[in-house]
Amino acid sequence: MLQGSYVINPRRAELALRKAVWRPLKTIKSRVSLPQQVVGRRRGGTPHSLSLTTTTMTKLMQWLFGASLLGGLWALVSFDLLDLNLPHTYREVAWPMPLYLLVSFGCFSLATVGYRVATFNDCDAAAEELQEQIREAREDLRRRGLKV
Amino acid sequence: MATGVDQAVGMGLVLFSLALFSYYSVWVVVLPFMDGDHMLQQYFLPREYSVILPGIAAVVLLLMIGAFTAAVVWMNHKPKKVD
Repeated sequence: MLQGSYVINPRRAELALRKAVWRPLKTIKSRVSLPQQVVGRRRGGTPHSLSLTTTTMTKLMQWLFGASLLGGLWALVSFDLLDLNLPHTYREVAWPMPLYLLVSFGCFSLATVGYRVATFNDCDAAAEELQEQIREAREDLRRRGLKV
Repeated sequence: MATGVDQAVGMGLVLFSLALFSYYSVWVVVLPFMDGDHMLQQYFLPREYSVILPGIAAVVLLLMIGAFTAAVVWMNHKPKKVD
């Protein structure tokens, strides 16, 4: 017998699909606390000027913000924009950093793919059983007259 | 567990990427701090190649992907019958 039968619940599948795919990165919002000057009012009506409110920033904006921050830091160090006169070796190490991160990410993904290929869970017995059942089914249909 | 060729190919990929990562790391990060006449420097190409070679590899990769896509699209394109 096969290890269990799978019945897909269509409603649950649709909800999962909607959650994973139909909400693109740019519409997922998260709360980011940024202090903002807000004119609020006390209960009596007298205004007070500063209060802390939270704004929502999308995930895309957060990633772009972080990336531009790191990019600015890299440009600062490698092109010496503020004339800090760092030692030459540090600048020489910092300059190929984006390419180095890209290459190391490529190496990491290659290693992950190779590792998953090597440790993939083959079910030989189940594959054999499936082939046998296909043969049986074909014989059965042929006996009943269906051209297979 | 995957057996035979699968395991060999997988482990080969892991070792290759590990070797590539360590060689590239030493080339980019460690070598500038070494002296010019250190014994280690002779195993590495000049530093310009540490930027040029990944660039060429990226271009070749994109070319392969484009060629593969073009081949697949061309194979699946069934010409319509004109009456």
